[in-house]
Amino acid sequence: MKISTILKNKKTARLLVVIFWIAIWEIASLVIGREVYLPSPLNTVRALLRLSVTSKFWYSIAMTFIRVVAGFIISCLGGIILGIMCGLIKFLYELLNPLVIAVKSTPVMSIIIIALIWFQSGRVPVFVCFLMCFPIIWTNAVEGIRQVNRDLLQMAKVYRVNKGLIIRRIYIPSVTPYLIAGITTALGIGWKVTVAAEVLSNPKFSIGGNLYGAKVYLESSELFAWTSIVIILSFAFEYLFKYIIGKIERKGF
Amino acid sequence: MAIKIKNLYKSYGDLIVCQNFNMTLEEMKITGILGPSGCGKTTLLNIIAGLEEYQSGSIQGLEGKTFSYIFQEDRLLPWSTVKENIKFVLESRYDDNEAERIANQYMDMVGLREYAHYYPRQLSGGMKQRVAIARAFAYPADILLMDEPFKGLDLELKTGLIESFLKLWNQDKRTVIFVTHDMDEALSFAHDIYILEGRPLRIKDRGAKPS
Repeated sequence: MKISTILKNKKTARLLVVIFWIAIWEIASLVIGREVYLPSPLNTVRALLRLSVTSKFWYSIAMTFIRVVAGFIISCLGGIILGIMCGLIKFLYELLNPLVIAVKSTPVMSIIIIALIWFQSGRVPVFVCFLMCFPIIWTNAVEGIRQVNRDLLQMAKVYRVNKGLIIRRIYIPSVTPYLIAGITTALGIGWKVTVAAEVLSNPKFSIGGNLYGAKVYLESSELFAWTSIVIILSFAFEYLFKYIIGKIERKGF
Repeated sequence: MAIKIKNLYKSYGDLIVCQNFNMTLEEMKITGILGPSGCGKTTLLNIIAGLEEYQSGSIQGLEGKTFSYIFQEDRLLPWSTVKENIKFVLESRYDDNEAERIANQYMDMVGLREYAHYYPRQLSGGMKQRVAIARAFAYPADILLMDEPFKGLDLELKTGLIESFLKLWNQDKRTVIFVTHDMDEALSFAHDIYILEGRPLRIKDRGAKPS
């Protein structure tokens, strides 16, 4: 069979691409020949299996998961509500915008260190996740409101359509695509910054704490195993979100 | 009661749109307003509709009146179907059953009943404009305003739309004010014609058609 025919099947093609990169990884680790620098894929899987029989492994994943979800939900609620308000009320936008710009330009590490001074270790990642995700969702919500078609609003005004209906039938459908884009971006970033914050704040159970531990003991295969967990979870999260959105969109607003 | 515009003054900064402008628009008649592009016709229509403010002067005969407006563009909600678009302007006034009944009735009148569940992007330009016309008539307005509603449509389509419009109007007479820069269009269905020029906006000529 020709490569082009195999590649026509999307799923097979995707699988082959994954296998290709794992093979490159294997070859690279063989060439380097030192597990500390680059553990082989097989050893990473072994480390993963070794970890997965411990209860600490599952607790850590659960706790990080809860932190990401908490930070994310607070960001969504805050970002959507404040973003919509700022999109509608110019004064509020002018008031909040400098703060959001400041937060956006602050290095994640500064935020984490400041948060370490302010909060107990378990809450630091939630706070950091919020500070990183909120501006993205907020900015998208503001932009969404600004893109609402003025002509449609004028039409609704002539026909004296009441406020609630205007919000439901003009504002919400206009803003939704912007919110979905913002939330999707925030999801990916949320996982990364939460784990980064955990590395420094080191709560009792956390993926980040385990990453840090693996680094201290030079357990590179464990480091890779934990990293792969973050990638898988972040990926699964985004997939789930897109799946839910797809379901809702098919049903209509 | 006729609509009487007296000493209307409107400007955007230094740009005077109209000054000492007077005009009377008859009730239950179709009035055509003709004039070159940019003379201020649309502004006049928007002032009547309450979408734009004016600095001084008065307009009588608009108290408590409701408006329908057929814009140059269809201004349909892109995420709503034909029926939902018509019901959108009715739902604030009627319960769902009544809104449904009225929407169905006007979709029938413009011959779009079988497209009730189509989205605007699935319709041609002429069909979309028919939805906008149905929406304007379905709404219980005293005054119907139209701003070049047939602009950019081919002759056949335009004739068809004017026919559907007159059919609707004959069944349900309202005060109609429509703006155009097409003399034939104005002559084909207006009872009363004003020819304007600008700026500032003033009446150049007036003609009435025996009805």
